[in-house]
Amino acid sequence: MLCKTTATRGPPRTWLIGALLTEALIAPTPGHADPLRLRADAIADTSSPAGLVILQGEDRVKPWIDAEALVWAGAKPSLAGDVLVLAIRLKAPRGWAEVRGGRFILATGAIRPVQIDGAVLTLRAPWGSAIESFGGAPVVPMFAARPYDWLAGGRVSQKLGTRVIVGASYVQRREGGEISDHEIGADAALAPARWLDIAGSGAYDLTNPGIADARVSAASRVGALRFELFASDRSPGRLLPATSLFSVLGDFPSQMVGGTVKWIAAPRLDVLASGAGQDVGASLGWNGFLRTTLRLDDRADGTLGLELRRVDVSTAEWTGFRGVTSQPLWRALRVSSEIEVVVPDHPEGRGIAWPWGLLAIAWKSRTGWETAGAIEAAATPLHRYETNALVRLSRSWEKP
Amino acid sequence: MRVALSFLILVALGLAACAGVLGLRPRDASHPFEHRAHATHGVNCVECHAGVAGSGPSEKLHLPSDDTCRKCHQKPHDQRACLGCHGEASVRDDALLAEKHLRFDHRTHQGPTGGDCVHCHEAVASEHPVALLPKMASCFGCHQHRDQWAMRDCNGCHVDLAAEDTPPTSHLVHDGDWLREHGTRAASARDLCASCHSERSCAGCHGAGTVPMLPARLAFDQVPLSGLHRAGFAARHSMEARADPGLCTTCHTESSCQGCHDRNHVGGTSAARSPHPVGWITTGAGGGDHGLQARIDPTSCAGCHGGAGEMLCVGCHRVGGPGGTPHGPGFRSDRSKTHDLPCRLCHAAGGL
Repeated sequence: MLCKTTATRGPPRTWLIGALLTEALIAPTPGHADPLRLRADAIADTSSPAGLVILQGEDRVKPWIDAEALVWAGAKPSLAGDVLVLAIRLKAPRGWAEVRGGRFILATGAIRPVQIDGAVLTLRAPWGSAIESFGGAPVVPMFAARPYDWLAGGRVSQKLGTRVIVGASYVQRREGGEISDHEIGADAALAPARWLDIAGSGAYDLTNPGIADARVSAASRVGALRFELFASDRSPGRLLPATSLFSVLGDFPSQMVGGTVKWIAAPRLDVLASGAGQDVGASLGWNGFLRTTLRLDDRADGTLGLELRRVDVSTAEWTGFRGVTSQPLWRALRVSSEIEVVVPDHPEGRGIAWPWGLLAIAWKSRTGWETAGAIEAAATPLHRYETNALVRLSRSWEKP
Repeated sequence: MRVALSFLILVALGLAACAGVLGLRPRDASHPFEHRAHATHGVNCVECHAGVAGSGPSEKLHLPSDDTCRKCHQKPHDQRACLGCHGEASVRDDALLAEKHLRFDHRTHQGPTGGDCVHCHEAVASEHPVALLPKMASCFGCHQHRDQWAMRDCNGCHVDLAAEDTPPTSHLVHDGDWLREHGTRAASARDLCASCHSERSCAGCHGAGTVPMLPARLAFDQVPLSGLHRAGFAARHSMEARADPGLCTTCHTESSCQGCHDRNHVGGTSAARSPHPVGWITTGAGGGDHGLQARIDPTSCAGCHGGAGEMLCVGCHRVGGPGGTPHGPGFRSDRSKTHDLPCRLCHAAGGL
C-alpha cells in the first residue's frame, strides 16, 4: 500500500506509522455544543518520508477560559517532535479584558505573524478603544533556545462610529540581544458605504528607515458580482532581520497592483478572475488566474473546479492548469482527485512540463473515525517521475 | 426543417441538463416546502409548528411530522413520507445545527414581532427559498449588539463559534481570492477572527518552523482550488518565490531554504556545484549580476548565504575590500557601524 519509486537514487527510505493515543474527558457544559474536542491523526507519507502522530485538543467548557494544543511526533526523516500550539485564553466577563498565553501566532495590526512563546494582554472599552500589549520569545523549532531573543510591542486601536477602525502598532525584536526588527505600523478598516469595504496596513522600518510592507484592499459587492482592487508594496531587505548582512543592500521594493472579480454565474457556479501588474526590481510583469467552481449539488458535497494561471515576471514565467473534483460515492465514502500541469517558459533542461496528480479516497464514520488514502504522481524538475502514497487515520472525540 | 427541429430539441435538452447541473432547477424529487401556498390558504405557522411560539431556549425543534400533514391532507397522494419530497433535508439540518449552536428563545420574540414569524423568517415568503433560517443581518435589524461587537462578546447568542464551524452568510464573508486578501482584512480585526478561528488556524501555516505538515498536505483528500502550497508546489516553489520577493519570509525564516535543501540533498550544499549562471560574479566594474539580483531579492541570497555564509560577501565587500560598498543608493541605517550586526562585519577593524 505504501510505496515510492523515483528515477533517482537516494538513501534508503523508511517510514513509520504511529499509533493513536489520547483521551481525557471533563464535565458537561450548560450549552448544546461540544466544547471539548480532541483529535488524533496518524499519517504516513512516503515522500518525506514521514510518519506522524498529531494530537490536538480544544476546550471551551467555560466561556471565560479556553485552551487548545497541537503536539506532534514522528519520523521525518529522523525522530522529531514539537509543539505547534499550546495556548490558554482567559477572558473577562463582557470581554473588556483578555489574556492569551503560551505558544501561539502573534499577529495584529501591521505586525506580521510571528510564532512566540509569550503572552498578549488585550483591554477593550465599550466606546471602541482597545489596547494590546505583548511580549515573549520567538519560537525556535525542536525546543531549541537562543539567548537574548525576545519580542515586545503593542497596538492601540479606536473605532470611529460603526464604520471605521484605525490602529497603530509598535514592535521590537532582538536576536542575540541585537535589534533584528524595529517597526512602527498603522492599520485601518473602513466601510464608507454598505457596498464598500476598505482595509489596509503598513509597517515602517526604524532600523533601516523606509516602508517595510504596505498593502491595501477595497472590495465591493453588487448583486452576484464582487470586485476587489488591491495594491501592495514590500521591501524584501527590510523583511529580513536587521542583523542579516542582506538587509543593508538597499533593495528594490516589490510592488503589485491588481483586481479580482467574483461572479456567481449560477446558483452552483462561481467564476473568479484575478489579475495584477507587478514591478519587481524595476522590471514590469504580471500574473493572473481564472478559476471556476461548480458545485455538483446544493450542499456542495460534490465539486468540480478548474483553474488557469499565468505568471509573467522577469525571472519567473510559467503557465499552469489545475483541475479538482470531489464527489461522495456511497454513504460515508468520498473520492477526490486533483491534477496540475505547470509549463515553465524556460525549462532549462528540467522537463517541458511538470505534471502532478492525486487520487484520494476517504471514509468518515459517524462515530468519529476517519481514514483516507491517496496516490500521487508527478514529474518534477528534480525527478523524471515520482509516485508517493499517503495514508491517514484519524479519530475525533467531542464531549458535550 | 426536421434538422432544425432536432437541433432545437437537442439545445433545449442540453440547456435543461445544464440547468440542473448549475442549480437553476433542483434535480432531485425534494423541493422547498410550500410555505407560501400554505400561508395563502390561511394556514397559520403554529398550526403545523405547534408549540413553537411558547418555546424557550434548549427546547426541541417544532418540525411537523407526517401525522401533522395528515390532519388536513387526509388522502395523501403518495404513501411515502411527506417530508421526503416536501421540504429539503438541508433546511432541517440547518435547523438542527442552529438548535445546537445558538441560544435562542422564540417565546421572548413573540411580543416584539407581534407573533409574525415572517418578520425574521423572511425567506419563507419567497417562492423559492434556499434557506429558511434568518441571516445574522436580520438579527442586527433589531439587535444592534454594538457593545457586544466592540467587546467581541459573541457568547450571548453563539454557544461556541469555533465549534459551530459555519461560514457566515451575511457578514464577514470570506470571498474572492481570500488567501491573498485575508492578511489585509485581518490586520485591524485579529480578535474578530479569533472569535471563530482557533490558534491552530493561523499556526497551521504561519507556524512554519514547528508545523508538522501543512494543512493542505494533512487533508490531502480535500481538494479546494485555493490553498497554501497546494498540488505540485514543490516543483514550482522557486518560481513562486522569485515572482513575489519577500513573500516567503511571511512564514519562513531565512534559514528555511538551506535547511530543507540540505535535508533533501538538493543543491545548496557545500558539495553541490554553484547554481548561479555565468557572469554572476566578475572582477571588472560592477562585479557581475549578483549585486542587482541581491537587491531585487535579498531573501533568496539569505536563504543559502545567511548566518556564517555572510562572510563570503564580507571577503570582498569589507571596507577597503575589492568589492566596494554593497549599499544601494539612498541607504540609511541608525545602527552603529562598529558595534552592531551586521555593520561591524565590514566596518569594524578585524570584522567580528
